[in-house]
Amino acid sequence: MKTDDSKAVITGAGINFSFGQGELRKQILFDVELAIQPGEIVLLTGPSGSGKTTLLTLIAGLRKLQEGRLDVLGHSLHNASQTDLLKLRRKIGFIFQAHNLLPYLTALQNVQVMFDLQPGVTIKEGRERATRILQQVGLGERMNYHVSRLSGGQKQRVAIARALVGRPELVLADEPTAALDGTSGREVVNLLQSLAREQKRPILMVTHDVRVLDIADRIIEMQDGHLTASSRGSSSAENHPAKGVQNESDIAAVTF
Amino acid sequence: MSQGIPLSWLQLKHEKMKLFAAVAGVMVSVVLMWMQLGLMKALFASAVVFHGSMNGELVIVHSQYEHLLHSKVFSSRLLYRLRGSPDVSDVFSIYLSPGEWKNPWNGEMRSIQCYGIETDNASLKLPGIERHLQQLRNTDVFLYDRMARPRFGDVVGAVERREPVELELNRRRMSLAGVVDLGASFGVDGNVLVSHANFLRLFSERKSGEIDVGVVKLVPGISVVSAQQQFQKVLGKEVQVLTVDQFKELELIYWRSATPIGIIFTAGTVVGFFIGFIVVYQILYTDVTNHLPQYATMKAMGFSDGYLYQLVLGQSVQLATMGFIPGSLIAAAMYAGLRKVTQLPLYMEPMRGVFLIFATILMCTFSGMLAVRKLRSADPADVF
Ligand SMILES: Nc1ncnc2c1ncn2[C@@H]1O[C@H](COP(=O)(O)OP(=O)(O)OP(=O)(O)O)[C@@H](O)[C@H]1O
Ligand SMILES: [Mg+2]
Repeated sequence: MKTDDSKAVITGAGINFSFGQGELRKQILFDVELAIQPGEIVLLTGPSGSGKTTLLTLIAGLRKLQEGRLDVLGHSLHNASQTDLLKLRRKIGFIFQAHNLLPYLTALQNVQVMFDLQPGVTIKEGRERATRILQQVGLGERMNYHVSRLSGGQKQRVAIARALVGRPELVLADEPTAALDGTSGREVVNLLQSLAREQKRPILMVTHDVRVLDIADRIIEMQDGHLTASSRGSSSAENHPAKGVQNESDIAAVTF
Repeated sequence: MSQGIPLSWLQLKHEKMKLFAAVAGVMVSVVLMWMQLGLMKALFASAVVFHGSMNGELVIVHSQYEHLLHSKVFSSRLLYRLRGSPDVSDVFSIYLSPGEWKNPWNGEMRSIQCYGIETDNASLKLPGIERHLQQLRNTDVFLYDRMARPRFGDVVGAVERREPVELELNRRRMSLAGVVDLGASFGVDGNVLVSHANFLRLFSERKSGEIDVGVVKLVPGISVVSAQQQFQKVLGKEVQVLTVDQFKELELIYWRSATPIGIIFTAGTVVGFFIGFIVVYQILYTDVTNHLPQYATMKAMGFSDGYLYQLVLGQSVQLATMGFIPGSLIAAAMYAGLRKVTQLPLYMEPMRGVFLIFATILMCTFSGMLAVRKLRSADPADVF
C-alpha cells in the first residue's frame, strides 16, 4: 500500500511489542507497518488473540511504545510524556466494547460531560451540541433518561455520541457491536459511519462482525501479530452517503 | 467541571441508601465529638465557677496555695498595704473551708464547701447576690448553692414551697437566707456562703484575719499585668498575686492531672473522629471500586487524575457538610437537655464549632484521599 505519509493521520513502521519480562516475555506485535489517511474508515480484523486490541491501545497512547515509530495526529509516540499522551487522547473519540457510561448520569449528561475536557466550550454550547448529537443517534426522546433505563443498543449509541461530540480528529473503536444483536449492531455501525463521514473523521475499528465489513474503505487483517493483508472495502469516501442506513431520521442533517 | 454537571453530587445521591449511611456516619461522629469536647469543657468549667465570679482583676493567695481544697491561710493585714494604692478601688477577703452539713431530711452528714465573704460589698459577682447580703449579716444564716448535688436534701424545693429551712452546719444550728448559683464540681458537691463573722463561728479553730483568698478590684483603666507585678513586689514572697485567669488555670492544672477526664474525653473525641473516618472511607472506597471501569474509561478518554480526584474528594466535602449541620443540631438539642438535667455549663461555643468543622472536613478528606488511591488501579489500557 502506498500512501502519502506527510498528511496521514496515523503512520507506523517497525512496531514490535511484547508483554511480560524475561522468560515470560511474549511478543505480540511483529514489525507492524500501517498508515491511515484523513477521512478513511479502516476495519481491522483477524483471529482472536492476534494482537488487534494491543495495536489499538498503542495508537491510542494507552500503552508505552516499545520499539518502532508511530505518529498519531502529529504526536510522535516514541518516548512521549504522560501529558503529551493525555493531549493526544483528548483528540481521539473512543468507542469501547463495554460502553462504560456513568450510571448516575443521564444520557445527555454522559455526552455533555465530555466538554469538561474542552474548557473553551460554554455550558450552553455544550448542552446544545450534546442534544443535537443525541438527536442524530436517535435518542432525542430519551436524552434525560438515566443510562440504566436504556437498552444495550441505545447505550452504545450514547457511547458513540459521547465519542464524537467533541469533534475528535480520529475515532478508535474496538468491537463496538460485539455486545449487540444483529439489528442494533448494524444500526450502530451505520450511524458511526455516517457521522464520521459528515465530520470527515477517520475511523479505525476492530471488528469480527462480518456483517459490517461493507462500511469500510479498507480492511486490514492481523495474523499472529503481523499485518498480513490489506483489501479495499466495498464502501469508499468517494461514493458516499453510506448505504444500508436503516433509520434515515437517525442521521438527518449531520452538522455538529 | 466546566460544564456545571455536579458529578460528585450526582454520584452521591445516585444510591440513596449509601448516601444515607454515609451521612448518618458523619452525623454520629459529629455528635460524638460535640458531646465529648463539650462535656470535657463543661466539667472543667464547673471547677472554676467560683474563680470566675471574683469581683476583681487580681487574686491573692498563699504562695503554697495549690487549689481550693488545698489552700493555705495568710494574714489579711497584707491586703491593707494595697488599700492605699491609687490603682486599687477595692479589696476583699475570703475565708474558705469544707464544713459538715447535716441533711435535715435524713440526718446524713455530708461535706460541703463553705466560703466566708464580706457583706458590705459584693466580693463575688454572682447573679442576685446583692439582695441577700443584708440578710447574710444576721447571726447564723447562710446562702445555699441552688446547683448543689441533691444529696444535701431538697433545699430548693423547700425554698419554692416557702418553707423555712433550718439545719446543722458543723453542729451549729443555721437557717437559710437565700439561694445563689455556683454549682458542683470534681471535689465539691455543693457550696455555702456565710459572712466573715458566721464563718468564724462555724469554724472556731480559724483565727480572724487569717484568710485564704484576697480579691483586688482595680480602678478602671489600670493595666492588670503591671499592677500584678507591682503588688507582688509590695507583698513579698509569702503570697502569689494572680490574674483571675491564672487563678483558674491553677485549679485546672490540678484537676487535669488528678482526674483522667482529659484523657477520657479526648479519647472519646478521637473515637468519634475515627467512626466518621471509617464509615466515609468504606463508602467512598466501595464506590470507587464499583466504578473502576467507568473511571478507567474516563482516563482513557483524556480525563486527568486531578479531575477524578476532585470527583471523589468533592463527595467527601459534601458528606462532611451534610453530616455536620444535622449533627450539630442534634448536639445542640442534647446540650440543652443535659444542661437542664445536670446543670453543667454546656454551650455550643463558636470556637469549638469552627474546630469541629475543620475536624469533619479533615475526617472526610482523609477518607476520600485514602479511597482515591484505589483509582490508581483503574488502568485505561484495560478498557479496550
Ligand atoms: N495485559 C496483558 N498482559 C499480558 N498479555 C496480554 C495482555 N493483554 C493481551 N495479552 C495477550 O496478547 C495477545 C494479543 O491480545 P489482544 O487483546 O491484542 O488480541 P485481540 O486480537 O484483540 O483478540 P480478540 O479478538 O480476542 O480481542 C493475547 O495472546 C493476549 O493473551
Ligand atoms: Mg481485542
